[in-house]
Amino acid sequence: MEPRSGLRRVLRFAVLLLSAAGLAGFSANAAATQWEKPAAALAEQIAAILGPAQAQIIIRNNSQIPTEEIPAIRRLLEQDLKARGIQASGTESANIIHVTLSENLRERLWVAEIVEGNETRLAMVHVEAVSEQQQAPVSGLTLRKQTVITTMQPVLAALETANNLVVIEPEEIVIYAHSADGWKEQSRVGIGQKKPLARDPRAVIYPLPNGQGFEASVAGMSCTGTPQPSADWNLHCRESDDPWFLTPPQPTQNGGAADMNIQVAPLRAFYNSARDFFTGVVTPSMGADLPPFYTAVLLLRSDGGGLLLNGIDGKVLFAEGGKLKSVSGARDWGSDFAALRSGCGAGTQIVASGSGEAVADSLRAYELPAVEAIPASAPLTMDGTITALWSGADDKSIFVVVRKTAAPGHTDQYEVDRVAANCN
Amino acid sequence: MLRQIAISCLVAALALPATARTRPHYGGTLRVEVERDPWQRPGGLARSLVLDGLTTMSSDGTAQPALAIEWKSENDDHRWQFRLRPGVHFHDGTPLNSSTVVAALTDLCGAACPWTVAHAVGSSVVFTSDSALPNLPELLAGNDYRIALAGAGNPLTAPIGTGPFQFTAFTNGVLTLSANDNCWQGRPFLDAVEVHVHRAVRDQWLDLSVGRADLVEVPAEQLREAHDQHLSVVASPPVSLLAVTISDSGALANPNLRAAIALAVDRSALSNVIFQKQGEITASLLPAEVTGYSFLFPADRDLSKAHELRGGVTPPTLTIIAESGAAMQLAAQRIALNLRDAGFNVQVANASAPQHIDLTLRRLTLESNQPQPALESMLRAAGLAIPVLERTPEGLYKIERQVLDTHMLIPLLYLPRAYAIGGRVRDLHLSVDGTPQLADVSLSDIQPEAAP
Repeated sequence: MEPRSGLRRVLRFAVLLLSAAGLAGFSANAAATQWEKPAAALAEQIAAILGPAQAQIIIRNNSQIPTEEIPAIRRLLEQDLKARGIQASGTESANIIHVTLSENLRERLWVAEIVEGNETRLAMVHVEAVSEQQQAPVSGLTLRKQTVITTMQPVLAALETANNLVVIEPEEIVIYAHSADGWKEQSRVGIGQKKPLARDPRAVIYPLPNGQGFEASVAGMSCTGTPQPSADWNLHCRESDDPWFLTPPQPTQNGGAADMNIQVAPLRAFYNSARDFFTGVVTPSMGADLPPFYTAVLLLRSDGGGLLLNGIDGKVLFAEGGKLKSVSGARDWGSDFAALRSGCGAGTQIVASGSGEAVADSLRAYELPAVEAIPASAPLTMDGTITALWSGADDKSIFVVVRKTAAPGHTDQYEVDRVAANCN
Repeated sequence: MLRQIAISCLVAALALPATARTRPHYGGTLRVEVERDPWQRPGGLARSLVLDGLTTMSSDGTAQPALAIEWKSENDDHRWQFRLRPGVHFHDGTPLNSSTVVAALTDLCGAACPWTVAHAVGSSVVFTSDSALPNLPELLAGNDYRIALAGAGNPLTAPIGTGPFQFTAFTNGVLTLSANDNCWQGRPFLDAVEVHVHRAVRDQWLDLSVGRADLVEVPAEQLREAHDQHLSVVASPPVSLLAVTISDSGALANPNLRAAIALAVDRSALSNVIFQKQGEITASLLPAEVTGYSFLFPADRDLSKAHELRGGVTPPTLTIIAESGAAMQLAAQRIALNLRDAGFNVQVANASAPQHIDLTLRRLTLESNQPQPALESMLRAAGLAIPVLERTPEGLYKIERQVLDTHMLIPLLYLPRAYAIGGRVRDLHLSVDGTPQLADVSLSDIQPEAAP
């Protein structure tokens, strides 16, 4: 080994060690900061009960607080008690403070049992639970998500317009407006269905050609909305069995068509609103008899294009050139997918929900060069069950609705996320 | 050659288009088997399928709109107004309105209702009460307050409700419930649910194994066996409190004797031997997950303290009864043995025989995971007085301590509710109290209908 390179290695090692120590110190400090308030509050209550005294302090951890954070909590508590006249002592003291770091489904609960002779008195403080962040895995093409809104009501579909977010709920259309804190609810209007809803209701929403308003289909109803100069919206719903739009109502460039300068005529499909699937009758015809399906995406390629659909029997098919072809490699797909024009790889990918029944559903991008789906990204965990998925107005992102019901102790929530891709 | 064929077959199989998981299909009949009466209160499976409440319990234990869409309280929670959901009909077509709801609630609890008066005001039901009812929305989500059309059907065996399923028939021990196409929550995925009633658990498991049943019960004490048999089990968190209620009359009017009984029960033996370590030992009414302070109630047996509290008094022979179920009978026998160790003479009696009962071993359901409504509903179910419940953990702890210091209710174990399911059952979830939510279940082997 050359002396210089050896020195370099030693220096590098030292830098690494220092960095690690620095990070550890930062982490310990962050942990300590987190517990400052509850430690002070508990010390205050203990001092009010015990007064200036010596006491043996015993800490028990009944919570998910990592063991390595307990010394920091002990230090804080002892400091706060000392500041209030209570000195930590050994077993010789007649006073004992049993501190239990406990928790329930909603919050942490710190309890002090203060034993003075035969008498035990209690002090309690509650501490808000801290949610833990999860990071998406990284691979060749990386999907990333951004939360658009979170709501307590089920979301069937949503559309971002120039100034508003239009959200379709099972029985209402909700208009959100921009605010400093993100989207804020501005108004809601009943859809006015006369027929009972299905158990698994769905909807689609597309922008009007001028980009200002929207057209939406909900079970048995068709709705339109246009913004007014007063910032209010003119919303109108009517009973309708008209076919639903599968692609935007105006001729557009879709699913990779932009790169090929292909104009796509709007495609519509009849929807069975009592059973929540498309009947298989589409207009204009694709030249092949389509089976009933849950989801369909128009996918254009340089050599033509076709309709990728998910049959209600779970089979993924590609209708192309008047023929219906089975797609392999889609075993892991759920019922929902959408086209994403990421510009990575082949330009357009299909992003499909996972097939699991899990409470933590996932999204994954696939390339479809022929009739075989090839994974193009790692799965992106969505922390809930995906209930709806559609392409954004420009196809450069997709929107996904995630129902978060798994965590006991928390209210059911519906989260609308925007998912886009980074090319690596 | 054979190897080449095998490899070719494998390659061909891998190349076959895969079948993906789909959205739930509509249709089919779910076959359920239960040991007890499906209409019993509380917890009867059929009640939750046929009847709705004014409110329903969310997964975090707060009341959510059901037949009532909004509510407000006035006068410090002494008056509540619940506005009803418009356009809801009972299964026979009768519209749901405030009068039908008031009549249903009067039929349900009469003079024993938590409120003093319920009356119809337009499209609302107004409850007034002499004492504050801060948890009324959560209380109304409970199984006891589900709305059945008064004066129609048979309220005990075929009530008419507004729920996702409606009574169709009861023949040869099989209760048939069919989908309510006009359900306000949306039609359920299943066409029907058949409930085979009064079926022994062993027979239920046998039927599941041969494909004659789709959903069967797994008592807590048989959870381990179910796992050993590789049954597909869906279990709730611990929601069923095994507890002894003690009469404060007769020999046990003496609070020291009741306290001695509480100290003499060996919870560990009950948990280990009878309930196969599937329960959580507890001496508190609410579990740790709900309050975080249950460790403040020591659950250890203390025979010497029990003897001390008895003070040499030998009361006359006490009687203990248990709710139905083999494990409950065994548990009652073991408690009788425990108490004998502390100098009590206890006899396990038949629950149906009319006599003075000193001790009753029963199960109480945790109906919410919010501590206040959970404690209130539990005290109501146990027939105990409801104190003014405070909202802070300290306040709730004090109330629980007060209640338990009367020694009229001895918590023993928290047990889960569990079910085993067949391979075609999809999306089975349990509600907060462990009841299966069958309206959201679908069957994987159903060919979807082309049209309804």
